[in-house]
Amino acid sequence: MVVLSPDRQRIDWPGIAFAMLLSAAIILPLLVVGTWAFTEVWRYPAVVPQQFGLRFWNQTLSRSDVWGALTLSLQLSTVVTLLSALICLPAAYAFARLNFPGRNILFFSFLAGHAFPKFGLLIAIAAIFLQLNLIGTFWGVVLIQLVGTLMFMIWIPVATFQGVDRRMEEAARDAGAGPLRVFWSITLPQAGPTIVAALLLSFVGTFYETEGAWLIGAPGIRTMPVLMISFINNQMVIQYGAVLSVLLWVPSFIALMFARRVIGGSAFARGFGA
Amino acid sequence: MTDLTQAAASRLLTDTNHNRRPWGLLLVAVPVFLVGWLVIWPTISAIARTVWRLDAEGNYGFNLSSYVFFFSDQYSLNNLAITLWTTGMCALLLLVICLPIALYLRFSSGRLPAYVQGLAIFPLFVPSIILAYAFIRVLGPNGMVDILFNAVGLPKIRTPYLTPWGPVIGLVWDNIPLTVLILLAGLGNVANQSIEAARDVGANRLQVFWHIILPRISNSVLVALSFSILGIFSAFTLPYLLGPASPEMMGPFMQRTFREVNDPLNAITQAVIAFGFCIVFGLFYVRSVARNRGG
Repeated sequence: MVVLSPDRQRIDWPGIAFAMLLSAAIILPLLVVGTWAFTEVWRYPAVVPQQFGLRFWNQTLSRSDVWGALTLSLQLSTVVTLLSALICLPAAYAFARLNFPGRNILFFSFLAGHAFPKFGLLIAIAAIFLQLNLIGTFWGVVLIQLVGTLMFMIWIPVATFQGVDRRMEEAARDAGAGPLRVFWSITLPQAGPTIVAALLLSFVGTFYETEGAWLIGAPGIRTMPVLMISFINNQMVIQYGAVLSVLLWVPSFIALMFARRVIGGSAFARGFGA
Repeated sequence: MTDLTQAAASRLLTDTNHNRRPWGLLLVAVPVFLVGWLVIWPTISAIARTVWRLDAEGNYGFNLSSYVFFFSDQYSLNNLAITLWTTGMCALLLLVICLPIALYLRFSSGRLPAYVQGLAIFPLFVPSIILAYAFIRVLGPNGMVDILFNAVGLPKIRTPYLTPWGPVIGLVWDNIPLTVLILLAGLGNVANQSIEAARDVGANRLQVFWHIILPRISNSVLVALSFSILGIFSAFTLPYLLGPASPEMMGPFMQRTFREVNDPLNAITQAVIAFGFCIVFGLFYVRSVARNRGG
């Protein structure tokens, strides 16, 4: 019944080679971490752990430093995402729709943050924060993360607002709707999904950001990734890091599912200057 | 007729926009202020504070001594050298790995290429801190590779963990997705017809690649490399966790000078030197993105 597709006749050797090499290089490490998280005893040189179990999940989740870092990271990401939305979305709307002096140069000024090696810029900011006593404070870390989200939260929504059909807005205006009503009923529903994706990206990006949090936040502010660094450096129990990795990866996976519409397309690559 | 209405409509729009002028500036004021305060001002201030500062007598003046110190201190120079080596090696490996993947993805379709693309983009969703942990469990001492080698009777590997190769492997892994995406977007500009035409006149695969494809994607290659070089030159997390303690890359070096040695002046000097080494790539990257968005 089934006719072999023409592809089947010629075996795709390069494809098979890429698939195998990439699987080994990308899936295997994550699989090993996943296995460690559910392992109670794994002594070298056994290929398979001697004993599986959830003991270390209990131990990890009963540590107060883990809960403290998790709460702090969630608070931080929420505050940064909300602030970012509050200041960036109106700005994105203005860049997309309004005409004002200096519009282009101001729009491209958001690129400035990407013209420097990131950690060097962080050091330069840290030197300023040192004088303002913002080092080691929650709001210092909020500010540093906010800068990281700016470009994402402006450029993606600008493209979306520009893509909204203007004729529908004009039609609504002709029918007597006020500007706010038009924005609420016409513009927002069309731009909504992409804006949600941008919000999600900034939330996840803030959650995982390590370098700013480590440089500006230490020692008072310990976010999840900062805690993870100390687990990697000083913790003898291997499983704590593995459990945290699996735990930490969940939000990233949710973001993967939601942000698929934004990421993967050439539109995304173009945002990076391709 | 339609043209006329459109012209009228656009005039109307510009007119209404005209009235709203101050509104636009007001709406963008806060993010623009943040960029000015937390990107542009720190950069200017970093340069200013390292060249114009107090001397021994308490007078402000032009003073390059922190730069002289950096370039005469063997430890600093070693750190700079390892950073340049790591960056160059990563750029080379990224090109060697990602260009074939991108070429393969551009010229094939079906389920297998979709799987390959999914895998190549996957590291985008793995935070580098988890990557560092996974690296240690796989390539570290008694890691998974050692276990598997042992099972088939091979000797242990010389682990790259805590050697200069540690950060190289981690950073390449981390940068594969965006490099592949940028190259793939560039390859989208290569028309199938031009390749077929070259094939018709008898060009082989290598000639097609060299004469038809490469000239058309050279800009994308440069953008991809600039982007990864900017990220790799001052990378912190992966070199800090996977690299050797000495010499260390500029990222951990700056962090240690700033926080542990508590010497902001020398840390800022190191940052300005990093800016200097990356300025060409930074400007090129910004120009490409701006041209892309503007045009």
